[in-house]
Amino acid sequence: MSERLLIVDDSSVMRRTIEKNLSDYDLEIIGQASNGAEAVQMVEDEKPDVVTLDITMPEMDGISCLEEIMKINPDTKVMIITALADKLTGLIALDKGARGFMYKPVNANDLAKAFDKLLKRDGK
Amino acid sequence: MESRKEEFEATCNLFINSVSNYFKHLTEIDSDMKVPYLKESEGLVLKDFTGMIGISGSRQGFVYISANREMFADLINMFIGIEDPSNEDILDMAGEISNVVAGNVRANLGANFMISVPTVFEGMPTELNMPENVSIYVIPINWNGHEAFVVLGLD
Repeated sequence: MSERLLIVDDSSVMRRTIEKNLSDYDLEIIGQASNGAEAVQMVEDEKPDVVTLDITMPEMDGISCLEEIMKINPDTKVMIITALADKLTGLIALDKGARGFMYKPVNANDLAKAFDKLLKRDGK
Repeated sequence: MESRKEEFEATCNLFINSVSNYFKHLTEIDSDMKVPYLKESEGLVLKDFTGMIGISGSRQGFVYISANREMFADLINMFIGIEDPSNEDILDMAGEISNVVAGNVRANLGANFMISVPTVFEGMPTELNMPENVSIYVIPINWNGHEAFVVLGLD
């Protein structure tokens, strides 16, 4: 059974790039959100298994969004994909429940490596 | 005084490396950096579409990347296969590059180098609050036959 994916990034081009690069995976894309508040609502409504999450976004940033997602469903596999390349931001995200962390710019190979690991980790 | 100048140039080099890495990593096409210069005259150095990031925290200022439609359209075509993107997509692409270039320098400058979400505009903005007392450094670049400007203003 396909895992259900939500893509969260304030860049529409980035969201579509992620969607295209993950098209070979057994993932059902259930939606896209352009800010943290929209993403939290979609997680409540749709209960995705996997979320790709940007950090620098308007209205609600990715770290606050991650905290809300973990309150709704701590089993959600969140992959942070952000331009913020400092180690502290990565450590904070992992501490708050993210399963993985990627620094933009992210190409198709980077995404494939990260998702192979993310999806295999739970035996799916 | 000299140490401030050296610090400014070191920060500029971080941005140059960040831009270079962006194009190389995502497109496998190298970008050429032309000779950067300090801008001393009034007015903005702009192409048709611009993505701008505000900088706060340990440093104050801004960085923007400005290029003509064709460069952003080329990138969008490489990333998602759209040959005739909308203006909305072009502006989105301008904002995303600026965001990545600015965010990546935090690998060296740390989390106190804070960046805003992108502001994007086409042509000359009607209203733009630029910080005062900043040194403005212009880095002309050429990628895949397209000319662009990376402009860094720092206190």
